[in-house]
Amino acid sequence: MKESPQTKNLEKLLRSSKLVAGGFMGDDARSVYEIIDADMAELSRLDFTAKQVVERMQQITDIAIPGLGTWVKLDEQRQVKIDEAKGWLICPWPHPGKFAKRITTVRLAKSGVSIRWSDLNIHLIGEHGFFEGKGSNFRIEPGKLIAAIF
Amino acid sequence: MVFTVLISVGVVSLIGAGLAALMVVSEHFFADYGPCRITVNDEREFTIEGGRDLLSVLSGEKLFIPSACGGRGACGLCKLKVFEGAGPLLPTEEPYLDKDERESNVRLACQVKVRNNLKIEIPQELLAIREYTCTCADIKDLTHDIKQFRFELVEPESIDYVPGQYIQLLTPVYEKSSEEVHRAYSISSDSEEKDAVELIIRLVPGGICTTWCFEYLKVSDQIKMNGPYGDFRLSDSDAPIVFIAGGSGMAPIKCILHYMKNTGNKRKATYYFGANVVKELFLIDLMRDFESELTDFQFVPVVAEPEQDENWDGETGLVTEAVQRDLKNASECEAYLCGSPGMIDAAIKILHELGMNDDSIFYDKFA
Repeated sequence: MKESPQTKNLEKLLRSSKLVAGGFMGDDARSVYEIIDADMAELSRLDFTAKQVVERMQQITDIAIPGLGTWVKLDEQRQVKIDEAKGWLICPWPHPGKFAKRITTVRLAKSGVSIRWSDLNIHLIGEHGFFEGKGSNFRIEPGKLIAAIF
Repeated sequence: MVFTVLISVGVVSLIGAGLAALMVVSEHFFADYGPCRITVNDEREFTIEGGRDLLSVLSGEKLFIPSACGGRGACGLCKLKVFEGAGPLLPTEEPYLDKDERESNVRLACQVKVRNNLKIEIPQELLAIREYTCTCADIKDLTHDIKQFRFELVEPESIDYVPGQYIQLLTPVYEKSSEEVHRAYSISSDSEEKDAVELIIRLVPGGICTTWCFEYLKVSDQIKMNGPYGDFRLSDSDAPIVFIAGGSGMAPIKCILHYMKNTGNKRKATYYFGANVVKELFLIDLMRDFESELTDFQFVPVVAEPEQDENWDGETGLVTEAVQRDLKNASECEAYLCGSPGMIDAAIKILHELGMNDDSIFYDKFA
């Protein structure tokens, strides 16, 4: 499929490090819409929608916020905390969108495995279906995310 | 019939796309706006070749307007007044300007393209901002993710700032960033030391500037910063002070404590400093020194979850909980806050509950 100028610009911005160190695409050679399509298909295979996922992510972030950076008990198996920095993360899509530099980390007590996301991740998944490219700092694997948060 | 319609639509679309492309190419190669005169605050004038955005034009003239998004019209910070020559408000500016701002000619500098002579107004405090070339003289680990950086000034050789203010550190192009960006950090050093600036910086995962500071910046490297910015500062009142900070929020409070010591300030002050574990506390010895050097100063470290082997016998829990336990009535006090936005919001809520007015609460969220 031929790319529109808008898609080319978006792809260029996502691969650059203008907004986050290392960019949003990591070393993923696929196009942004190939990544989105593959992750949406994976979500669908797991019987979830992006809306369900981001609602749960936001719910967990909201539980962690009062902890002011300390671990908060999510349930018997999981703890959650947030780390915040001053400033904003900017959505790379062409619309106004700035998000607090807030990172939510969920830790599974039994395995010690943890998974993290930023407020911008919640927006990118919810609004654009974008889990970021493989190898980027904040790439989230849909399967791992679902296993950790539901 | 259908075929004819399709052909017609295709031809019209192609012509439209061609014309749009031609306009973009023409703008890029042939647009010549000629020299444009910019008048700043009716005091200073300079002339530049038109065609660039106002934010980068001003930066080129060493007039620094805060911006967090590199001029993409996404942060809404680079506001200034443009009285003449800016043209109509753009849709990209509208979400960031309220009714009063629109009526008083406020614009986003990054979205205003210089095509005509412009008459602009920059807030007075921004005119005092300078760019400094410095040498990184020392990097010290304070915790696993917080470092203290010392920068010695090269040009200009000295800086004047009000304790509590911040600078913007320029991150150059490096392996993980394809363009220069500025990020704001509070000054932590003693303001009487004019030839150097110290910053306390916490690593932000994936952060462009902090990644560079932690992984690429080396002692003896040259860097650039501009400033000072901000109106976070100690008031002239005699009200008892409550400082509340966490992590790298230590920076401006430390700077203010140096100032209180230098000026013989006798105000009663209590400093609540929060950490998750004992290992995340830092500069404790310096704070104890301030306790003996200042007239009425108490440092209260608060640890959320002390490690068992540390035998911690100080305050525990959240820093805001310690404030709530200690302070029964805050109505006569002033509070100075620095930390994560979440900590600041939580502290403000507690201080309100303890009877403090908004007028007595000072903080700088950098946003």
